[in-house]
Amino acid sequence: MIRPALILARKDLTLLCLRGNGLSQALLLGLLLIFIFSLARGLAELFSAQTAATVFWVSTLFCQVLIFNALYALEEDNGQRQVLLLIPAPVQSIWLGKALAGLALLLAAQAVFVPAVLIFLDQGLEGRTEWAPGLLILADLGLAAAGSLLGAIAQGRAAKESLLSLILFPLLLPLLLAAIRLGAGILSEPPAQEDLASWFRILIGFDCLFAAAGLVLFPFIYNAQE
Amino acid sequence: MLLRLENIAKFYGERPVIRGASLELAAGRTLLLTGGNGAGKTTLLKIMAGLIRPDSGRLTLELAEGEQVGYLGHRTCIYPELSGLENLFFWARLHGLKPGRAALLELMERLGLLPFADERAGIYSRGMAQRLNLARVLLFRPALLLLDEPATGLDTRSRQTLEEEIARAGKAGAGIVWISHRPEEDAAMADEVALLENGRLSLRPAKAAA
Repeated sequence: MIRPALILARKDLTLLCLRGNGLSQALLLGLLLIFIFSLARGLAELFSAQTAATVFWVSTLFCQVLIFNALYALEEDNGQRQVLLLIPAPVQSIWLGKALAGLALLLAAQAVFVPAVLIFLDQGLEGRTEWAPGLLILADLGLAAAGSLLGAIAQGRAAKESLLSLILFPLLLPLLLAAIRLGAGILSEPPAQEDLASWFRILIGFDCLFAAAGLVLFPFIYNAQE
Repeated sequence: MLLRLENIAKFYGERPVIRGASLELAAGRTLLLTGGNGAGKTTLLKIMAGLIRPDSGRLTLELAEGEQVGYLGHRTCIYPELSGLENLFFWARLHGLKPGRAALLELMERLGLLPFADERAGIYSRGMAQRLNLARVLLFRPALLLLDEPATGLDTRSRQTLEEEIARAGKAGAGIVWISHRPEEDAAMADEVALLENGRLSLRPAKAAA
């Protein structure tokens, strides 16, 4: 399952880089959101670390919707989906491949969003910066696992982008909440009494939940019906 | 028996598309599947491939370890941004193969695609794309080859190449089901002809159809 997933992920990343539209649209949308939010504050006002973290993760979320729609659309143009279902590998390898490609693209997008948040929202890295890699990876794992599953649900149906967003946002709320709280703790020193480690446990819990949901549900969702 | 269908039925909503279809296909045999537009040929072929689940009946595929099903549908399954050769490398790896460049180029040469091997597949004509699609299927030497109107849109030369490759696969022991709208011409390639009409499947020897 891992090998075909890696082959698929590599192909998807190559295609999206060659097409140039998947990641660039997602990046532009995310940056636009950060910039628009930066206009919402007055001249002498400062955004709280929590507000800045919220803007960052909302941008990431919109970016994720576009990324997974682009990733699943790759298999629709010339009917590749039905022959992918015939490869000698578990069908979940498609879910995993898309999730891995999506994870790489999300991390690439966040490499742009982090400095944008620091600059446009006038934030500093004054909190627990050592948590940043762990937070990004754990939160993005959950976003990728859920995004890959819901990208498959939305593909091939009318108004797919809006459908994906509608399903996605409520499901991701606990994960986003944890990511926002931890993100705020990275941007500014968190209150001593707050147990931020518990938010990491929530992230890990939801990563496992979305991964399990992907493995179990994907074969029922991704089929050859057009 | 490589493929066995027993009383397969499929409905789209209330409408029966296939009613009680039964057939058997042995390795090395070619079955030509024919019928009018909307008769359900593609649906039946997808059922054989395991891509669509029948509403009732039983499908049995007897494949040995490592044997695979090759499905060639209406669409070309190519990634236009990749070269023809890169497309084949991708599908080969997904099918668990590790082919050398020379082996893939040899396959492309057989299909008349060698001069375009490193060109973006997006610039291929319909006929070239279909030949690349055929190469995708042939490269893992499927035990069961399912072809949905593979000759559509092909010129005479491409059609001839296609028929040669299908005959070669049959001689190598693949069971072949071939949907055709030209049973009179294509029956010569087949051992048996199946006519799908009003959801019912009737079989006759290819010589009777030719």
